[in-house]
Parts: sequence; structure tokens; C-alpha cells
Amino acid sequence: MADNRVLLEVRDLKVHFFTDEGVVKAVDGVDLTIESGKTLCLVGESGCGKSVACRAFLGIVQRPGRIVSGEILFHPDGNGATIDIAAMDPKGAEIRQIRGREISMIFQEPMTSLSPMYTVGNQIIENIVLHTRDSKEIARERTIQLLDQVGIPRPDRLVDEYPFRLSGGMRQRAMIAMALSCNPTMLIADEPTTALDVTTQAQIIDLILDLQHEYGMAVLFITHDLGVVAELADDVAVMYLGKVVERAPVDTIFNDPKHPYTQSLLRSIPKIAMRREELDPIKGMVPNPFRRPDGCTFHPRCPKAMEVCRHVVPSVTQLDPNHLVRCLLYESQEGRPDESAPAGRN
Amino acid sequence: MWKYLLRRSAYALFTVWVISLISFAVIQLPPGDYVSDLVNDLRAQAGEVSPEWEQRMREIYGFDDPFLVQYFKWMRNILTKGQFGYSFYYKRDAVEMITERLPMSFALSFLSTMFVWVVALPIGFYSAVHKYSIADYFASFMGFFGMAIPNFLLALIVLYLTYKYMGQAVIGLFSAEYASAAWSWGKLLDLMKHVWVPMVIIGISSTAGLIRTMRANLLDELNKPYVETARAKGLSETRLLIKYPLRHALNPFVSTLGWMLPSLVSGETIVSMVLNLPTSGPILYRALIQQDQYVAAGFILMLSTLTVVGTFISDLLLAWVDPRIRLQQ
Repeated sequence: MADNRVLLEVRDLKVHFFTDEGVVKAVDGVDLTIESGKTLCLVGESGCGKSVACRAFLGIVQRPGRIVSGEILFHPDGNGATIDIAAMDPKGAEIRQIRGREISMIFQEPMTSLSPMYTVGNQIIENIVLHTRDSKEIARERTIQLLDQVGIPRPDRLVDEYPFRLSGGMRQRAMIAMALSCNPTMLIADEPTTALDVTTQAQIIDLILDLQHEYGMAVLFITHDLGVVAELADDVAVMYLGKVVERAPVDTIFNDPKHPYTQSLLRSIPKIAMRREELDPIKGMVPNPFRRPDGCTFHPRCPKAMEVCRHVVPSVTQLDPNHLVRCLLYESQEGRPDESAPAGRN
Repeated sequence: MWKYLLRRSAYALFTVWVISLISFAVIQLPPGDYVSDLVNDLRAQAGEVSPEWEQRMREIYGFDDPFLVQYFKWMRNILTKGQFGYSFYYKRDAVEMITERLPMSFALSFLSTMFVWVVALPIGFYSAVHKYSIADYFASFMGFFGMAIPNFLLALIVLYLTYKYMGQAVIGLFSAEYASAAWSWGKLLDLMKHVWVPMVIIGISSTAGLIRTMRANLLDELNKPYVETARAKGLSETRLLIKYPLRHALNPFVSTLGWMLPSLVSGETIVSMVLNLPTSGPILYRALIQQDQYVAAGFILMLSTLTVVGTFISDLLLAWVDPRIRLQQ
């Protein structure tokens, strides 16, 4: 199933928001690759640009946001054709062929992501009819089948139910059914379990894993919950202030994290049987979006910051074929052997 | 659903009853009554009026009866005979005046409302979707402009302009030859020719308000997650805007249908006087000034009843268009 073929390749993507108060560089040079059939987890604190980045992959960044540069290369199956989503007109017909059909998306708020004015069935059928030109009857059959598949009881009845009569978990299942309705090659899930209770979270994650096995789609899963990452991911990309700071297979991230931010994130997870005082949160807060620190944006909070981090923007260092990190600690280690000795802060 | 209907009907009936009580009480609040007006007039013209005669008039009209007795008689005649009493001032049956004037007000209100919606909703929609564009600023500017101009002033300006450039003032709803004629195709056509002027003048200030409301409603909806879901499906922008946020933004307007009537009637009074329209506003105003109590009470009662019925209907419509209201009880 997994053929290690690259499905989506993001190069130096920049999405900026042009507000009256100034420019917010929500995504400021993101590089990512997603292989078909695999799961990539995009991790980071709130406000680091995860959600904006994945909206850019569908061309649905809201004004005043805009993709200012970079490439989003999409390789749909077979024939090696390549499409640059970043270069497409976000309202054009081409990109609308991709949305909901090749790449579909589920959102954080199952309570409000479906319109209360129309039945669940209506909203799923709409997606099928739009992309397949099937008749409403066929689409309805398929919808009932999908609802059954995502574990909604009595799907032939619930297809005509309004979303506000379903629980949060059921709505998220309905959203997943909608996202899968056209057999997408990639599913983007933007914190789909954040608004749900823990039991439901586990069920939804299992469901996504099952469906991924069945449909063979790639999954880009956005979360700040490292427990979820451990359960789902093949690869992990860690984002901080609009940049991917570390990217590696999931085992490497958990066992041998290199970037100080990744290390801090992992240390901040509470472990069972750990005494309460030992919780180790990351110091400081995400900086004001209008005044990003110079140099490495993480340096004011970094336990291993060096003098050089204040002015030099780190570039990507490849530690091994699958492990990339954006940190001056690892940059040209042969170049400055002495200065790069970690200098503790505070 | 049936329970809901029944409960709402009961509320509506109760409301109408309370309104009838209040409207009858309100018109008796000013000091004096029609007889004192009459006596004043007679004294001004001829001199002496004997207190006995005055007392006798009061007895004939029943003005000295206790309030509840008067109210009871009035109500009984309305309910059993469909009679609203007699106009002291016009010397006519009040019910005739009401049936003559009220449909005109109703028609004018309806047409103005349609005009307002047809103009304001698309402009508001465009303004919201193209927020902070030049067109949006222009619409906002025109909106405030329209709101700021008193509509009687607008009526005067229109009168002046039409008189100056067309040689004839657009007064009334009918030309002279149709004014007192029976209804015919010709009369209807004639009405169509005249009605647009008051329709636009009465509608213009609500248009301005409605543009703002529509814009605000839609802006609230545009950033809702379900809009993003629809966009992520690959729907075209126009289609998704109409199906999702517009549908949501329109719901509140359905519920305003009911109480549009009273605001338009009170809004049209001065315009109707300026333009000499055969609607309820001017006659109600005159009746209140002259203490012509049965005409005034009759108009107030009928207008209120229509409003209650309208609100009832718009509640039903709202339940019909919005599943959240229909299914959550």
C-alpha cells in the first residue's frame, strides 16, 4: 500500500496576513513532504501557523492572508503530473477540482463545521454530486454506505437528520464521511479531536487509522497533542512560529529529538506516576506576532541559546536522510566547533 | 408542531385582547371628549349652549358610563355586528373608513417592503462579500445619507421636482378620474403609475437600515466554520455563499416581516399628508386630534391585530425555514 511515493511537496511556503497593524508572517518558510499512504503529524503550540499552512494546501487561506511565495507541488497518482497549488487562482475551477476530491479536510469544531440549515445527508451528497456528477439517488446510496462505514448507527435514518441533533462525536464522524466521499488521495485533519471528550477522541483516531488502511490515503494530521502523535504518525514535523524546526520519523522524534524546542515539548508532557511539581513547561510565551525575535525565533525561550542565535537565522541541517533540523547547534558542526558549545541561559 | 401552533394562537388571541383594552383606554386618556369639542365649536360660532343639552348629549353617546361598560358595548358591537362605531367628525360609519383606508396602507406597506428588500438585500450582500471595497464604502455612505434624510422632506423635494419638470405634482395614489371610481383594470393601472413615488419615499430610510443589517448579519456568518467546510468541498464561491451564509443571514428577516407594518404606518403618516395619499396614517392622526374616539380606536385595534397576525405568520415562516426552531422544543 505505502509505496513511499511523494504526494505533496511543500517548498519554502510563505503565507502572510496583511492587517492594518502590520504584516503577520503566519507561515514563514515551511518545507514539508507527504508520502502517499503515510501519516504526517504537524505539531506545535497554538498560533504557530499549523492551521494556516494546511489551509494553504487547499488554497483556502482567508483574507487578509495570502500565499506570498513558495510552491505546493501536488503529485496525484500515476503519470507523474505535477500541479503547483500555490500558483493556482484560489477561486478558480482547477483548484476546486482538487478540493474535496483529491485533498479533503476535516476541521476542529464538529459542532459548527456543518451547517445547521441542511441535513447531514444533503451536505455529503452535495460533495459527491459536485465531483462525480452522479445522480442524487446514487449519491444518497453512497452517503448511507459511508455513514455506516464511519460507525454511525442507523445511517438510513440519520442521513436525513440535522447536524444539531447529533453529538459532537457523531458530527465529526459525519465530517469524516463527507471528507472520504470522493476517495481522496490525501486527508487533512486540523485538530479533529480537540473539541471532543477523551473517549470519543480515541474512537475518532482509531476510525481515521482504519479508514486510512482501507482507502490508502495520505493523512496530514495537525495536533498539539503528542499522545495522539505517538499513536498515529509515521513522520512528524514540528512547527514553531511559521517554520518547521524539526522533521523526522516518529520514533526518532520521541527517542532522539534534536531541536531544543522539540525537546522542551516532549519534556512538557505529563507522565503517569510523575509528581506534580516535576511538570516542565516551556518557558515564556509565543511572542507577539508583529514582533518576531531576530535570528532564530526560538532563542528567547531556548534553554540552549547561544549568542549567535540572536542574529543568525538557522537554515535546515540534514542529520540523516530522514531527519532534518533547523537549529544553529547542528549547523556546520565542523565549521565552528568551539562556539557551538551549548551556553545555558538563565 | 401542533402544540406549538396552538400555544402561539392562544398567545396571539390574548395579545389582541390586551391591545383592544389598551387602545380603548388610551384614546380616552386626553382630557375632555367629543362632546366638549363640539360644545366648544358651537360656543365659538353661536354663543350659548345649555349645560342640560351638553349633559343630554353625553348620555346619548354614553360617555358617562364607566370605562368597562363603554368597552364592553364597543367590543360587543365589533364581535357580533362587525361595527366599530360612528365617526363624530366625518359623520360616517367607522368601519367604512377602516375598510377603505386600511387595505391601501397594507398594500403600500407591502410594496415598500418589497422595494426595500429587493434593493437592500443584494446591496448588503455585495457590501459584506466585498468588505472595505470602494463599492462597500459607497453603499455605506448612501445608506447613512438615506437614513439621515427625513422622508417628508424627500416627499416635498419629489413634489417640487415633478411639478417643475413634469408640469404636474405626483399627488395621491390615483388620477382624478379614478379617485372615487370602482375598481377596474384602468384603476389598477393608474395605481401602478402613482404608487412607486410613495413606495420609494417611504422605503428609502428602511432601505438604508436594512443594508447595514444585512451586511452585519452576513459578515457574522462569513467566518463561520461551516463556510470553510463548504469551501473545502470545492463549491464555487457564488454557490457556496448563496447556499450557506446567505441562507443563514436571511433568517432574521423573516421574523421582521410581522412588525414591519406598524413602523411603516407610523412612518407614512407625514409622507401621506404631504403627498395626499388615501391611507390610514392621516385619518388616524385627524381622529386622534379631534377625539373621534371610535375611528381612532378602530384603526389602532385593526392595525395592532394585523401586526399580531403578521408576527404569528412570520413566526410560523421562521419555523418553516429554520430547522433549529422547528425541531428544538
